[in-house]
Amino acid sequence: MPVTQKDLMNIPKDAMLKGHFACAGCGSALAFRHAIGSVADKAVLVVPASCASVYQGSGKGVAFNVPTINTAFAASDAVASGISRAMKRKGKDDVKVIVWGGDGSAADIGIATEIGACDRQENVLHVMYSNNVYGNTGGQRSGDTMIGARTATTPEGNTTPRKMVPFIMMANNARYVATASEAYLEDFVEKFQKALSFDGFKFIQIDISCPPNWRADSAHSVKIARLGVQTGIWPLFEWDRSTNKVVLSRPSKKYEAVENRLPVTDWTSLQGRFRGITEDELKALEEDTERQWNFIRKFL
Amino acid sequence: MVLKQEMKSMTGNDAASYAALFAKPEVIAAYPITPQTTIVENISQYVDEGLLDAEFVIVESEHSALAACMGAAWSGVRTFTATSSQGLLYMAENVFWSGYGRLPIIMPVVNRCLAPGWNIWPDFQDSMAFRDAGWIQMYTKNNQEVFDTVLQAFKISESKDIALPSMPCLDGFIISHTTGQVQLPDAEEAYEFVGPYDDPVIELNIKNPWAFGAMTGPDQYGKNRKDLIAAMERAKSKIIDVHKEFADTFGRSYGNGLVEPYGDDVADLTIMSLGTIGDEAHEAIDRLVAEGLSVNALRVRTFRPFPEEDIVKFAKKNHKLLVIDRSASFGHGGQLGIEVEAVLKRNNVDTPVKKLIRGLGGEDVPYTKIMDDAKEALKE
Repeated sequence: MPVTQKDLMNIPKDAMLKGHFACAGCGSALAFRHAIGSVADKAVLVVPASCASVYQGSGKGVAFNVPTINTAFAASDAVASGISRAMKRKGKDDVKVIVWGGDGSAADIGIATEIGACDRQENVLHVMYSNNVYGNTGGQRSGDTMIGARTATTPEGNTTPRKMVPFIMMANNARYVATASEAYLEDFVEKFQKALSFDGFKFIQIDISCPPNWRADSAHSVKIARLGVQTGIWPLFEWDRSTNKVVLSRPSKKYEAVENRLPVTDWTSLQGRFRGITEDELKALEEDTERQWNFIRKFL
Repeated sequence: MVLKQEMKSMTGNDAASYAALFAKPEVIAAYPITPQTTIVENISQYVDEGLLDAEFVIVESEHSALAACMGAAWSGVRTFTATSSQGLLYMAENVFWSGYGRLPIIMPVVNRCLAPGWNIWPDFQDSMAFRDAGWIQMYTKNNQEVFDTVLQAFKISESKDIALPSMPCLDGFIISHTTGQVQLPDAEEAYEFVGPYDDPVIELNIKNPWAFGAMTGPDQYGKNRKDLIAAMERAKSKIIDVHKEFADTFGRSYGNGLVEPYGDDVADLTIMSLGTIGDEAHEAIDRLVAEGLSVNALRVRTFRPFPEEDIVKFAKKNHKLLVIDRSASFGHGGQLGIEVEAVLKRNNVDTPVKKLIRGLGGEDVPYTKIMDDAKEALKE
């Protein structure tokens, strides 16, 4: 079902109550409010160690208005598997079990657990909100960090290509895989709901801005995310196992053609993490971006 | 009236599997590791053959095995898994998470030493590493006790006033892979003893959302841990009660459920140990007594919670303790020995304690060896 701006303004349930601890301009909190709010009366959340384990708030003032289980960093997809199986036993198959975690868990420490749940086709949706960094611990490089980014552990710039978790999930036969962006919430919520309509393991990676760790103006959160799509850095697509086809999402269609893309520097210049990026690094970043597009093109 | 039971020959792992089958867990996670593997293999067969109606989750690691059980336990269903050695270590953070999270998971640990080098034989270094993880730990002496303990564990752990996971421990190979006689109750009568898990200690509820394990400040965190300490204390009387109820129903008992004395009430030397060494000690004592020596035994069946009162009471009236551990705490001796010394000191009991470490990595500890150690201790 297409999701419109109007739908976004009428969230069925406020999944994020007052008292959350998210930073100003946090794209993850914004995405959470809209996506989880659209299914809040039937969702169970599993949150690995991540910013979400902090921004949900504390004690009796927890801001998540959904049953939430906080787990160890690498445990979330297995805990979600156990919940999903138990719900099946109780005849509550309609409960949506959702893992909501960052790229540190999804791309690095928890990837074996995630692939395990995918391999077993557990009825779980994993949403990886991606700020390309270990945000909660102060901005260290993760497997999802892109080339050229200055992080707490790559002060001279990250040199390794981005680990593309959606591709890994496609290769492991997930039921449904999609990428999304904080700047296109209708598109994200639509994919989120579509994913939940399938049985089996589903995976969505959403690109979200992280103003503190990206050393960016919090007012630019959505703008940077939009430029991420418009510069081609972050291709938005869906892949469905039943067709084995990639469908480019509307906001990204135009940017498959390199000549239509805005210059990458439009995107990097708004983020302090790319201050001092060299010509060579920019070139390597563009090449890595093209590597991702080339992978996607094989499934078009 | 004690219920009628059937004598069967089976390995210790079979006994653990039967207890699980009879308790009807609803979510079981399985990952292989020697010498535990045959437990989850048995259960896969029960599920395949329709003997057990359950979700059988074949996970990709022990870390996920326990995590899957945790998810199911949070959802309010009965859960079971089993592990050994490196597998237990691999699940480490979840062992603490489930213990401190008060999730009543039942997980037999088939004791095996830790690498390096590669060695699949028993010692207790694996489970001892988790003695403070918030799990009830009971060490068994034979196949029969494995069955009885696993069955009792469900009833103890799932009590609302306890809400702690249980780790029944069995010596790898010596129990796990050795065939012995087991009195097996009728499946439904065993289930009736455990009872259905219809009033879970915790249960996810979408109509009444709560967050589990969110950020917790020092005040609340400390309160939670003190609750855990108190629950572990309460578990002592719960273990005794469940053990007594089991004895009344099935006619078998192991001391009071916490400790099991053997031989004379008072002797010149008391042999204390865990697991199968405790069983082997009986043979040694019979022979030593026949030689005219004065030796008795106190097998510690429940190591967590630690049965301080029972140990102190027994030690007070006896003259010397010989504590034989199958694991080491470097610089101190073995874990049982250290704790026995500590509780005696705390209670101003001056019965001397001799600590020995025996049987590491499957080193054989026959009754002859125990007799030699006892004679040596008596001479000192």
